[in-house]
Amino acid sequence: MPGSTDRLKPALAFRGVTAGYKGRTVLREVGFEIAEGEFVSVIGPNGSGKSTMLKTATGLLKPLEGRVELFGREVSSLKPRERASLIGVVPQKLESPMAFTVAEIVMIGRSVRGRWGGPDAADHDSAERAMIYTNVLDLKDRLFNQLSAGEQQRTALAMALAQEPRIIMLDESIAHLDINHSQEVLRILMNINREEKITVLLVSHDLNLAAQIADRLMLIDKGRLVRNGSPGEVMEEELLRRVYDCDLRVRRDPFSGNPVVSGVLDAALRRPPARKRLHVISGGGSGIELFRRLLIEGFDLTAGVLNRLDSDSEAARALDIPAVLEQPFSPVGGEALSQARRMVEAADGLVAGLVPFGPGNLVNLDLAELALKAGKPVWLAAGIASRDYTPGKAAAAKARELCDGGAVEWSNIHELMARIEQTWPQPETQH
Amino acid sequence: MSLAKGGSTSKCGDGCRPAPFNGSPKNRRRALLLAAAVPVLFAVSAMLGPSGVGLPDTASVSGRAILDLRLGRFFMGMLVGAALSTSGTVFQAILRNPLAEPYVLGVSGGAGLGAALSILIGGAFIGAIGLPLTAFAFALLTLLLVYAIANQGGVPSVYSLILSGVIVSAICSSVIMFLVSTADIEGMHTVVWWMLGNLQPASWAEQFVSLAFILAAIVGLWLFAPALNVLTLGREMAHYQGLDAGVVTISSLLLSTLLAATAVSMGGMIGFVGLIVPHVMRSIFGPDHRWLIPASAIGGGAFLVLCDALARTLMAPVEIPVGVVTALAGGPFFLIVLRKKMKYAWID
Repeated sequence: MPGSTDRLKPALAFRGVTAGYKGRTVLREVGFEIAEGEFVSVIGPNGSGKSTMLKTATGLLKPLEGRVELFGREVSSLKPRERASLIGVVPQKLESPMAFTVAEIVMIGRSVRGRWGGPDAADHDSAERAMIYTNVLDLKDRLFNQLSAGEQQRTALAMALAQEPRIIMLDESIAHLDINHSQEVLRILMNINREEKITVLLVSHDLNLAAQIADRLMLIDKGRLVRNGSPGEVMEEELLRRVYDCDLRVRRDPFSGNPVVSGVLDAALRRPPARKRLHVISGGGSGIELFRRLLIEGFDLTAGVLNRLDSDSEAARALDIPAVLEQPFSPVGGEALSQARRMVEAADGLVAGLVPFGPGNLVNLDLAELALKAGKPVWLAAGIASRDYTPGKAAAAKARELCDGGAVEWSNIHELMARIEQTWPQPETQH
Repeated sequence: MSLAKGGSTSKCGDGCRPAPFNGSPKNRRRALLLAAAVPVLFAVSAMLGPSGVGLPDTASVSGRAILDLRLGRFFMGMLVGAALSTSGTVFQAILRNPLAEPYVLGVSGGAGLGAALSILIGGAFIGAIGLPLTAFAFALLTLLLVYAIANQGGVPSVYSLILSGVIVSAICSSVIMFLVSTADIEGMHTVVWWMLGNLQPASWAEQFVSLAFILAAIVGLWLFAPALNVLTLGREMAHYQGLDAGVVTISSLLLSTLLAATAVSMGGMIGFVGLIVPHVMRSIFGPDHRWLIPASAIGGGAFLVLCDALARTLMAPVEIPVGVVTALAGGPFFLIVLRKKMKYAWID
């Protein structure tokens, strides 16, 4: 029975741990604490030392220096059975070369109790509970080898649960599963963590998965713990770029608010070869759909002038669209304006979105005028008068002036695309 | 024979093996059948031999001698077969490899070398306990050598263990060949005859010592059965399951080496029993070692007794070496079992 005093001790603590193999140090001076009931994920690039950390935490590998404590007791001082009643481990892939059934495999999780003979009622109860939890009860008479990867992982989890441990560690156990199976395992883990108050330590190289589920992330790089904090604190673009040594981007998932990492490569590859270059005037969210659609249609885009923190400027950044930015809530200054002028000069045409105009961004309409004067087509979202917050309705007046000069009005994206098509007909697609 | 189809149903179609952990009644019935085979074989053994079929006439002196001889062969067959087969079962579990057996790891080769040396050099000095002990000592040395060759820092992988086992085994047999070629005619004859494998009853003292060794080792291994079950999931998983994997591995390797060495010192180099009987028993009783170890012991003994009975009657009055029969009878049988039932015993 767990003592009452060790409830206050951290479930797992590394104190200045250096560990590794013969002639090769992998972990260097790693220190952290995990409180009981926490859900922590260890992330890091391949070969950074995540698995070594797990092996050290479970006593499979003795630290060269420092101490590893489980509920306040040094791991190496625990008897094997005591250790197994505290930690359950789900491996990357459980391999059973012999033809054990699911029920037998799960019951192996009970064999730590050390009876030679058959399982007693308590063992059956515990194994059955574990199988219900992980949704493998229906598979109990099936041979483990003949299950799908997801079912095998759930069985491995059931086996670890049958040990009735206080902390469960998973070593990349979800990495190779399809999204539906990995989601199911994650859901089970969250239930275990919340309902059974079992501490979970998930080693994963999938940053998004880790950030989605864990209370806390620990980022390991080259054997050192480089960041230890909430997903928001750890999923920092600059830090991850340095650790993973590649270009990547962190955004917030619009639904969950979780930080989401993606490589930059996919955004660059998605685009068909550029047709023409368009400069887009937008703001206040009016540009997001515009950007997306125009990119899909194969246009090269520039944008501005936008205010920093405006959702359009975030969108432009995310989509890799060069944009001129101005400080929030300030009028567009000379430096930004001349930069935007250069963009318009480099563009083949200009599109203005459904952006409200005020004194601060009125100068953007000057950009449209500049384009018209240079003989470039300009497409203007109709109804500027209703979005005109300038004193003396200056924007509406300017718009009329532009239309007289040859600017074309559009009222929805579909119409805009049709108008652009009129001006720049698509070349016949070759098959 | 197919597994229950349709994924989510828990119904067990025919051919679907219910978990033996629950003390499956099917396994109990099969175990009873297997145990019942032993007295039958005992009777068969008493009635078969190169001197003719039927119970020898116990009224005559020669008849009593023949019966003695036949029962001695039965006893030898049971012991050697049980030892070889149990040892193979355990080697397969520890190395998680279906090809593992005492021969593959060089253990039998080492034991053979020790036995050949003591036959040629030791002669009469070694006594009842000497031969199996010398064989065990040599088998142990071979195992250490194999382990040392395979060990390149950390725990050696199964593949390097098997590879170095094969190499060491080859070395042992060439040394035996060398010993045989330099020995005198009588020694050569003894060693070659012994190497071919035969169950000519050893002295009662030797049989008694071997019986003690073999029984102790089998019971010891049986006590490790739950641990061996866990160990089939790999040493790392065994550690996570609260097993001192090193202790279990080393002690069960020692015990199965003792089994193999004793078997070799008694019956010579009898192949195939340690490889096929475990597989057949696993396909009948499932992989749970609490069932598998006693089943392998009885099954291995029965199989060898049967082969020996055939060996002495098929070409009577000439006796075929029993090792030849085990291979000839075991090979095809093994293939049939393998094709039909392997999927219930071992993944491909």
